[in-house]
Amino acid sequence: MTSSRTEILVDVTMPQMGVSVAEGTVLAWRAGVGDTIEAEQTICEISTDKIDTEVPAPVSGVVAEILVDVDQTVSVGTVMARIAAQGGPSDGDGDGDAPSQPPAPSAEAPAPRAEAPSPARTHAPGRRYSPVVARIAAEHDIDLSTIAGTGRGGRVRKQDVLAVVTGNGHGAPSGEDPPLHIESPYRPDPPAAAGTAAGVADGGLSRMRRTIGERMKQSLETAATCTTWIEVDMGRVEASRGALKVTALAFVARATIDALREHPALNAWLNGDDYTRVEDVNLGIAVSLGEDGLIVPVIHRAHELSVEGLGARIRDLARRARARELAADDVLGGTFTITNPGQYGSIMATPIINQPQVGILDLEAVVKRPVVVTDGDGNDSIAIRPMTILGMSWDHRALDGALAAQFLATLKRRLETVGL
Amino acid sequence: MATLTYLQAISAALRDELRADERVVVMGEDIGVFGGAFKVTDGFVAEFGTDRVMDTPLAESAIIGCAIGAAVVGMRPVCEMQFADFISCGFDQLVNVAGKMHYRQSLAVPITVRLPSGGGFSGGPFHSQNPEALFMHSPGIKVVAPSTAEDAKGLLHAAIHDPNPVCFMEHKHLYRRVKGEVPDGLFETPFTARVARPGSDLVVIAYGAMVEVALEATADLDGASVEVLDLRSLVPLDEEAILDSVARCSKVVILDEANMTCAAGAQVAALIAEKGFEDLDGPVIRVATPDVPIPFSPPLEQAVLPGVDRVKEACRDLLAY
Repeated sequence: MTSSRTEILVDVTMPQMGVSVAEGTVLAWRAGVGDTIEAEQTICEISTDKIDTEVPAPVSGVVAEILVDVDQTVSVGTVMARIAAQGGPSDGDGDGDAPSQPPAPSAEAPAPRAEAPSPARTHAPGRRYSPVVARIAAEHDIDLSTIAGTGRGGRVRKQDVLAVVTGNGHGAPSGEDPPLHIESPYRPDPPAAAGTAAGVADGGLSRMRRTIGERMKQSLETAATCTTWIEVDMGRVEASRGALKVTALAFVARATIDALREHPALNAWLNGDDYTRVEDVNLGIAVSLGEDGLIVPVIHRAHELSVEGLGARIRDLARRARARELAADDVLGGTFTITNPGQYGSIMATPIINQPQVGILDLEAVVKRPVVVTDGDGNDSIAIRPMTILGMSWDHRALDGALAAQFLATLKRRLETVGL
Repeated sequence: MATLTYLQAISAALRDELRADERVVVMGEDIGVFGGAFKVTDGFVAEFGTDRVMDTPLAESAIIGCAIGAAVVGMRPVCEMQFADFISCGFDQLVNVAGKMHYRQSLAVPITVRLPSGGGFSGGPFHSQNPEALFMHSPGIKVVAPSTAEDAKGLLHAAIHDPNPVCFMEHKHLYRRVKGEVPDGLFETPFTARVARPGSDLVVIAYGAMVEVALEATADLDGASVEVLDLRSLVPLDEEAILDSVARCSKVVILDEANMTCAAGAQVAALIAEKGFEDLDGPVIRVATPDVPIPFSPPLEQAVLPGVDRVKEACRDLLAY
């Protein structure tokens, strides 16, 4: 049985990671030319914008070609590599005659079945066999690892093992090791030193840190950034949030959306001289990834959500962000951003605008303070109130301070009248 | 031997039984003077009179309840549910009274309940259902579902002769579409499966109207040898025939027109998982109507009912596995 095997080259392409993503950059190859790889095993790491992800091998086989270098950016659908998947011969697969020769289910069958409860003996590592294939192999003492499958991904089908049993198999076992993969004369270059301790000490920032740095610097160089603060009594929010089981952030998000609807000039993009007000409020929420950095997933059409709905979306996005499960579309299209680093007790900040947006709101800690309150009759007294300082950085190219102050006043009014 | 439609075969079986056995009576809504919603009993009143062809009130519980009483005292009643969907109103009589009578009191309840079932004609959510699995789940009731004219007649004779309550699932879509040679006389079709087309690479297991879909979808599937097994009887389920097909083909697609969850096909899949495991060469694949009501809208209805294209796709996918 020396019939030729066909080698099928399967393309590994730059995946579509969201409807609006057009290209991606290869960060690292996990397998080199000539390496054997299993289906679903990571073949390379790629990056689009802020999302880094891994590309699984579509089939098991041997990496035959790598066509895109590390750090090269290619469009979606571009072939990045080819995997030589092991196939069977291209001639007839013997489907027709196999069933006419079923394995004898009679006398001798029970014995081998009983004494062969360890099918692993005949199985190659990493390959799995269906019950009928395992049974036929056990009955006929066939080493399945020597059979080239004709099923999906080289799976050994019933027809394949029956063909061996009946002696007309294309994948008949022989004394020699079968060529499980085609050796390529090419060897990959030694891997770059990326990721080694030396690389980090060398001052190499992570890709995410570099991106954040570039974006922040670019924003400060582009926008005429001003920051305005306002003090807000969060008493009503604090009283309401327990009942709804959401954080203060969800209330601030909802109030921000309402304030943006009243002052739509802040729900906008400014690209050079091109100023666009956006109808939908696509609210970005900054999520810390610890030392790795920061990401701003976006709640699209946030104006359609209630406080509870916003709370649920914020939780979901934060969880997926930290699990590195965000899709590219989750971080695109934001029209305004909220950042909320107040959990450590800080009370004020000057956030940097997320370009090309024109405003970013900063929610810091809620702190109990003595404040002067005025009752309905105009009598002043000192009370202990949960206070916070909301800060908004805004782009003076797009608007002026009066509008920013009006926006913050609206926000304050809405937060102080929650539930009224 | 005559060439009859599926509907004419059912009419012929009823007429032959009424002529042959005076214990047989038929009862249902508008089956007498009007001749039945689908004209299965057209002309019966003229031949057999209103004592044996009874128009009933719109009360399925009363129809089945009366039939149970008549059966217990020796009659062989055949009840028609105008649409299978309406049997939910007679559920208690059928499931709790008829199904458990023999267990409790050793009394046979030889009733046949005819259930015009299935969709495909824009009948909407109340006139298109396939409720057979409800009765498979309930002990004491047999369930049969013919796909051909010959089986429609033979299974109806067998159902009427059977000493147990039998749900006879007659598919409305087949009434005037399916035609075939039907033997004369009171022949009985056994409550067993039938190989509608032998094959060796894959078996599609179906019953009722889905047998036609399976045959059409796999008539020419890239040269693959596809078997089609027509279950014909759901209770009792022909385990031997199912496991034989699985042993031969090793790859199985199970087709249901009923909603997916707990449909007849789910029981078949469970049987194969338990007793046919060592013969499987791929996952057991099910194709069924998703768990939604049947829409009125023709395109939406076609979208939910399993059609030729879905079956082809499922078979191709499994063949390549």
